[in-house]
Amino acid sequence: MSDAAAVSRARTGDADAFRLLVERHSPMIFRVAWRMTGNEHDADDVVQEAFLRAYRQIDAFEERANFSTWLHRIAVNCALDLLRARKRADSHYGGDPEAAELIGVLPGSEAQQDRLLLSSEMKDAVAAAMERLSGNERTAFMLRHFEGMPVEEIGKTLGIQVNAAKHTIFRAVRKLRESLEPLVRTTPCT
Amino acid sequence: MHLNEEQLILHHYHDDDAPAAAEQHLAACAECRAQYELLRGVLAIVSEAPVPERGEEYGAEVWNRLRWKLGRQPRVRRAVWIPALASAAVLAIVFMAGVFWHSRTAPQTVAPLTASHTTSSAATQVAETSQNTPAQGDRFLVLVVSDHLDSTERMLLEVANADPKKSLDTSSRQKRAEELVASNRIYRQTASQRGDARIASVLSDIEPVLLELSHAGNNLSSEELSALQKRIESRGLLFKVRVVSAKTGETEIPPMSKGTNSL
Repeated sequence: MSDAAAVSRARTGDADAFRLLVERHSPMIFRVAWRMTGNEHDADDVVQEAFLRAYRQIDAFEERANFSTWLHRIAVNCALDLLRARKRADSHYGGDPEAAELIGVLPGSEAQQDRLLLSSEMKDAVAAAMERLSGNERTAFMLRHFEGMPVEEIGKTLGIQVNAAKHTIFRAVRKLRESLEPLVRTTPCT
Repeated sequence: MHLNEEQLILHHYHDDDAPAAAEQHLAACAECRAQYELLRGVLAIVSEAPVPERGEEYGAEVWNRLRWKLGRQPRVRRAVWIPALASAAVLAIVFMAGVFWHSRTAPQTVAPLTASHTTSSAATQVAETSQNTPAQGDRFLVLVVSDHLDSTERMLLEVANADPKKSLDTSSRQKRAEELVASNRIYRQTASQRGDARIASVLSDIEPVLLELSHAGNNLSSEELSALQKRIESRGLLFKVRVVSAKTGETEIPPMSKGTNSL
């Protein structure tokens, strides 16, 4: 059954049709969510929330549109809501995200060094590099790099000026280069 | 004059104002071309970084966690992760909002709250006022407990579905469990105070398990995990949570205010 047919049937209350959509698209939504949040548990929560929202908004879905694209956008919004909620909670309950970010960017932080020493796998290096990014840097970079969102829209999403959004992306890429460039120098480009 | 890092990044993402000029320069300048290749190499590594594995059954697992929620009528509710971030302070705000809503709809029965009220006194006041108007008191309790049960069910599912032959990393769950214990106590006390035995009983049953998880440290050994799974199973905790949660979902709930719907 095509997505369009499944959506039509789901609109009439056919649970099996919505189940098909959930089972078909969950892995894709998880990948989006994980890239946005960098955390498996959060990503699972985003997947749940995205499908709940999709179910509740399914009447608003235009049949001419692509269901996968529509769902993808919902998942990105869910991830952004989660990141915002977490930021507010950290700020409200005495967490110090700035300090946490500062610790994260220290090149000599033990956690980061340990990770690199303990594993030669590229994924650990990328994970360690991503941990050096602040929340805004990670979000701005992910939206630009993986989602292809224009810088203007990233600015609106993060509530900052376009120029600030651009510089947030610059800082993110600079940090990634500092961490990962040694690997590139020893690894042939694909 | 060379292209700087920012210009190279803009060019990579097609955000530069004069891409043709940048291309020409890159074609002519070996130094900038090398820098550009390094940049592309780094970003390629990021793009290719593997996402954590999810098995073939992942879609079915998502559906199993989701399906019972879909039977509920669409309603205004908070995002599912917010309870996990909540603390007693947030509960106080929710209760105060409920009392405020109640005071507007039933001003003749509710005394105004002062700013010095604490969480417990606010909860107590909800209980007291709900004795006068039980239906409205029910709605306050149902609204907050429904989300709490969602979060608790997810936590219990994670434990129940973990491999009992291996230890379970609980480092990421400990804080959530602590928050759930704090929330659970307040809801349980409030439910007891206003005589809702059904909700109070389930909350009372799940509290020891949440407490154990909050005290587990960073790791549950295979034996500890197995014992906890048996406790969840033998007491039918997941079933009880789902039943109460489904019943609370059937209750008509008044909208809290504009802007609380994050859809």
